[in-house]
Amino acid sequence: MKRLLRHPMAVVGGLLLLAVVTASVAAPLLASSDPIKPSFSKRLQPPRVLGGTSASVLGTDNLGRDIFARLLYGGRVSLALAASAVVLAGTVGVVVGLASGVLGGRLDDVVMRVADVQLAFPVIMLAIAIVSVVGTSPAALVSVLALSGWVLYARTVRAAVLTIRQLDYVEAARTLGASDLRVVVLHILPNTLAPILVIGSSQFATMVLLESGLSFLGMGVQPPQPSWGAMLAEGRDYLSNAWWLATVPGMAISLVVLGANLLGDGLRDLLDPRLRE
Amino acid sequence: MNRRQFLIGSGVVVSASAVRPMAARAQAPRGQIIAGLSERMLTLDPANHYSISATSVLRHIYDPLLDVTNDDKFVPALAESWRSVNNTTWKFTLRKGVTFHDGTPFNADSVVYTLKRVKDGKLIKSFVYQDIEEVTKDGDYAVTVTTKRPFGSLPAHLTMLGMLPPIAAGTEDAFFQKPVGTGPFRFVSWTHGDHIELAANPKYWKPGVPKVEKVTVRFITELSTRAAALRAGEIHVIDRVSPDMVQTLKGTPGVKVLDTPAVEAQRWHFQLARDNVKDPRVRKAISLAIDRNVIIKDLLLGYARPVVNPVPPGLIGHVNLGQKPYDPEKAKALLKQAGQSNLTIDFVLMKDLYPKQLEIAQAVAAMLGEVGVKVNIRNLEIATAREQRTAGNYDLFFSGWAHMPHDPDWYFGQWFTKAGAEKMTRFNDPKVEQLIAEGRVPDPKVRQQKYEEIERILWEDEPEIWPYYSVAIYAVSDKLRNFEARRDYYVLLSEVGIA
Amino acid sequence: MRAYLLRRLWQSALTLVGVSLFVFVILRVIPGDPAKMLLPEGAPESAVQELNRALGLKEPLWVQYGIFLRSVARGDFGQSFQYRAPALRVVVERAPATIELALCAMLLTVLFGVSIGILAAVRRGTGYDYAGTVLAVLGQSLPNFWLGIMLILLFGVSLRWLPTSGFQGWQYLILPSITLAAFPTALVARLTRSSLLEILGQEYIRTGRAKGLGERAVILRHALRNATIPLLTLLGLQIGTLLGGAVITESIFAWPGMGKLVVDAIFFRDFPVVQTVLILSATIFVAINLLVDLLYTVLDPRIRYG
Repeated sequence: MKRLLRHPMAVVGGLLLLAVVTASVAAPLLASSDPIKPSFSKRLQPPRVLGGTSASVLGTDNLGRDIFARLLYGGRVSLALAASAVVLAGTVGVVVGLASGVLGGRLDDVVMRVADVQLAFPVIMLAIAIVSVVGTSPAALVSVLALSGWVLYARTVRAAVLTIRQLDYVEAARTLGASDLRVVVLHILPNTLAPILVIGSSQFATMVLLESGLSFLGMGVQPPQPSWGAMLAEGRDYLSNAWWLATVPGMAISLVVLGANLLGDGLRDLLDPRLRE
Repeated sequence: MNRRQFLIGSGVVVSASAVRPMAARAQAPRGQIIAGLSERMLTLDPANHYSISATSVLRHIYDPLLDVTNDDKFVPALAESWRSVNNTTWKFTLRKGVTFHDGTPFNADSVVYTLKRVKDGKLIKSFVYQDIEEVTKDGDYAVTVTTKRPFGSLPAHLTMLGMLPPIAAGTEDAFFQKPVGTGPFRFVSWTHGDHIELAANPKYWKPGVPKVEKVTVRFITELSTRAAALRAGEIHVIDRVSPDMVQTLKGTPGVKVLDTPAVEAQRWHFQLARDNVKDPRVRKAISLAIDRNVIIKDLLLGYARPVVNPVPPGLIGHVNLGQKPYDPEKAKALLKQAGQSNLTIDFVLMKDLYPKQLEIAQAVAAMLGEVGVKVNIRNLEIATAREQRTAGNYDLFFSGWAHMPHDPDWYFGQWFTKAGAEKMTRFNDPKVEQLIAEGRVPDPKVRQQKYEEIERILWEDEPEIWPYYSVAIYAVSDKLRNFEARRDYYVLLSEVGIA
Repeated sequence: MRAYLLRRLWQSALTLVGVSLFVFVILRVIPGDPAKMLLPEGAPESAVQELNRALGLKEPLWVQYGIFLRSVARGDFGQSFQYRAPALRVVVERAPATIELALCAMLLTVLFGVSIGILAAVRRGTGYDYAGTVLAVLGQSLPNFWLGIMLILLFGVSLRWLPTSGFQGWQYLILPSITLAAFPTALVARLTRSSLLEILGQEYIRTGRAKGLGERAVILRHALRNATIPLLTLLGLQIGTLLGGAVITESIFAWPGMGKLVVDAIFFRDFPVVQTVLILSATIFVAINLLVDLLYTVLDPRIRYG
């Protein structure tokens, strides 16, 4: 862990993420107002920073609800959904990519063609199809989100595998009798980590934004429950006159993305065998 | 006459003749208007769509037999006059001296062709005209229409049906690539999904119309973008402005905001066969628990009107039945009486269909929560929502009705007859059904009376909640002259000039 | 290699048939009735059934599919339910707008993404790197619509430097391309930086440096070559997505492209248009993936397909 400390940016990233997650989890303690109950006389009040005089630090939304409270409670939902989706997409994608690249041949062809087929379908259509089969639970939403993301991991990992598996020392390990699995885990996987971490830490934002677009299908979180995606969607119509509605959750997303990026890049520096000097 | 009279007389004559050529010059169309509409165009066939936007645009290319003014009066267009000969016969007397854009004359053949085509074809408007029995010409400038049942609202529906030239017969696909009508503007081009170009028809039968040489209609579905284009001076008029956008627009120099109560009533209809809301006391309680004034004042910023009748003012049959009260205490009492103190209802919305619907639904959920009713808001994609409605999987459904023909017959016939409501609201009241049938006769006095009776029954029974009448908000460049904010959301530019 | 190519082409054909079947079935199985979507809410059930029959939707599924395949063989993808015009024509009309926007966005992505990535990697730990990180974070987290509307308000309404929407000339491409390119540029920048940093530490680069080559030459020649593979993978997927049409950007900018077309078609259950777009889309993805796979072998001779 001493090595970790040599990468201050990674630490900063990690702390940032920790802060956001903690704040969301501690929402009931930190937020004094009700994130759900409308207050019609207090609509669209600007944040105190911009001269608003309301009791709401970050202002109120189109139904007079405290944005700070909604941000915290919404964070729980969005962080959980996006993280689950990224983990699911990443796991499936990496495993598939590894298998496809290492085993090659028929498996590779079939898997890649399946990916091609799936890519042709817009996310919305897949979402509608999935909703009609399994309903509109958060699990369904996570599945749809993961479905939209796994291919990038799979193809990236596969490409890395194709490059690496011809390398001399890998061939050497093979001839020396190391099993395929060992080769994969010890030699190939670490070398594919860099792009995986980069992609994974970028995908969080994509997932939240997708969630924003899919909430209308009745997936996952329903109004009046807040989520960052829902707040973004609701704020879209108010960009000219109450721009903080969409900007505040946008900034929260940016913070998480920053933390994830820094952490991701730091982890990559840490774990990349080739950078050990 | 004496000399003084003569001088005055000749002075008048001289000045009059001096004025007339100037007036004629002022009447030549000049300038171009660019409009930004929210709804895209799908077809140039007036009989094959039910879109408000398309009706609006096509009104420039085609003329219907009659028009409806913004204060709900039916006025002649291609028909100079019309009357009901008896309960099942209408006679239309046509205007003479009108030509289509390609020079062919407009006469009874056109009317016969247009009406027969929509009645017999498999077009989107066909179902409305199924009651027509026969269309025959009476000489070149009169047409007689006989119907299977009384069809009192036929003229109203005809305000939305442009007349087509008989040469289109048999070659409709090709015809609608470059359609020809009798309207104030000729069709120039249509770039799908982007814009339509129209050019003035110099031989239009109405004098002084159109006032501009060119009209371009752009389709911009995103409100912010539509408003931005207007504010940047790129376009001259936009429709479907939301109440929240009004401040910003009013604050932009060169832009004016116009609004008018629309012929649209929001209606949240109950699923009348569902146990939850079958009991009229439950429905009444829900109605009492909704503070409509808050919705109108705080959420719609005053851009809505309180409802006093299922049908908006101006339409035949409208009568003021008083506003519905807001009384949460009484609501709670009624729910207790009905044994439903812990009710949960499903409130289904069709995504993005009505402005601020999600906001309003959340407000209603909060209000109903206060009286012990839990509301599950289900904001669904339109096709799925409508399937759910057919299947009956809802308690309350967020919808609206814009009376485009300015006549309530279609609304009542569709939603309050057993056949019409079967797969929708499951409404079934033989008395109302009978009244609707009786209200179909052409005699306006009879219709007024029957519709009033229907409205009283519905107002009492509350199969639907009518929270507010919508207000249509438009924003225009102050260069436009004579733009009228219409109640039916149409953007009509034939009488509009540009500075 | 030729055997591989032939095998891939054969599979591509199979894939396309698979896609057509899949989309055909899905559309008819999910809830949603095309006739209901075409007719107004106030249309009787009989009219709905009538219209469905006229649209050919009452036939058994396999009959419909057979008719569909036979028409496609003739180049006829059916009549759009909404537009009452040939579906292929409706889709192809919108293609140029989408293609131009996609290419423009891709150009920006490659130019700026790679440059920022190189700069950040080479000047690692300095202000340039941090600036690059900030830009990358912004690019990934700013919602499409937020960026689009803000750009319109700033450059279109306040400054009046650029048109607000539509597509009537090259200036109209600027704001939508920037909006569309923001996210991929950020991703490309990060991926470039990360890949370069890997390579910069490797032995043979050090050897190259020791031989006295200018640092810039070292970087550009050796490192970029190897960073290209993951970049190419990403760009391949990205261009496919862009060509499928970027729905939100197209909505915001009233862009007459395919993205909005296909989403509207899905919502309105305009089966022929959805089918056409999806088959076209699949063709594009299949072609691009094939191209990318072939380019792998060009860029890295070590890669072989067994």
